[in-house]
Amino acid sequence: MLTLAWTFLKIGLLFFGGGYVLIPLLQHLLVEQYQWLSLREFLDGVAISQLTPGPLAILATFTGVRVGGFGGGLVATICIFAPCVVLMLLVGRYYTRLKEIDLIRITLDGVLPAVVGLVASAAWSLGATLGNLRQWLVLVAAFCLFRFTKVSPMLMILGAGLLGMLLP
Amino acid sequence: MIDPKPDIIAPVRVSLWEIFTLFLKVGLTGFGGGMAIVALTERMVVKEKQWVTPEEFLHGLAFGQILGPFSLNSCTFVGYRLRGVPGGLLAAVGFLLPSFLIVSLLAWLYLRFQHLALLQKALAGTNPVVIALILAVVLDMGKKQIKGRNDWILALAAFAAAALFKLNVALVLAAGLVWAFGTAVYRRRLV
Repeated sequence: MLTLAWTFLKIGLLFFGGGYVLIPLLQHLLVEQYQWLSLREFLDGVAISQLTPGPLAILATFTGVRVGGFGGGLVATICIFAPCVVLMLLVGRYYTRLKEIDLIRITLDGVLPAVVGLVASAAWSLGATLGNLRQWLVLVAAFCLFRFTKVSPMLMILGAGLLGMLLP
Repeated sequence: MIDPKPDIIAPVRVSLWEIFTLFLKVGLTGFGGGMAIVALTERMVVKEKQWVTPEEFLHGLAFGQILGPFSLNSCTFVGYRLRGVPGGLLAAVGFLLPSFLIVSLLAWLYLRFQHLALLQKALAGTNPVVIALILAVVLDMGKKQIKGRNDWILALAAFAAAALFKLNVALVLAAGLVWAFGTAVYRRRLV
């Protein structure tokens, strides 16, 4: 349980530049390093966390429940969100006087291309879970829908789940 | 302490309970994620309740985007501006609580019924969609964030390090940060 808390606290400190940096980070830590989840479970967890209004980091709850039941979920959730809540409270206090902010902003903007590369690498390893041609076709179709329409991820995931149940 | 700009005080003192329930509502109804939630929050706290000014809200959002999950961060920020630390904490908890409960319940159901054939099939159906979503994000972010040769090198290097050489993702990210900080300082000297 302590490892769980510490791990999610570390992750909470690391995520900036949008929630999606979490996908490669979590995939590496949870699947490869600690082996708390299999690749399949990781993907299922992402699907489940996309069904809620919360940020992607709510995936921590899923992992916590998997590792340590309801208590584990609570610990993981608190730990992953604590750093950014605390930072945001500090910002609320001092934001009129943060002068070095442009340097921080330029640095964080500068690292974003690396984030893009890392997120792509997560998609690369997750692609290993796809077995048959039909899944690849669904992937291409879903990609086009995300690109060219404004369908929400939640609806897409629910729809894909239903289709998966109904099709032989 | 003298602030250059004095804090904008809300016309009515907002109760902590009001803050909590408002963000609970955001957390319960804000489906669509990310910017959809920010838009909903803005409509509720700036336009309807007039708790904070539009400028203040935008400042909070700008910082929120730097510090990770900006939907959560803008809630925390508004709560803090209204009632200090308790306000910020209650706003954050209120916003996260519905999602936390939904995911806990779904995770429990998932672990219990993981082996049911029907659920297996449903989840297998969602897997390619999740990967497609990640790819769409890559393309979208790439279009916005990768400009010029240096950015391409950084992106490809990060991809190769993580996907092909299996280096620790956190380390790659830290290296990218050091690199970006160095370039930022260097560019600033030139100006």
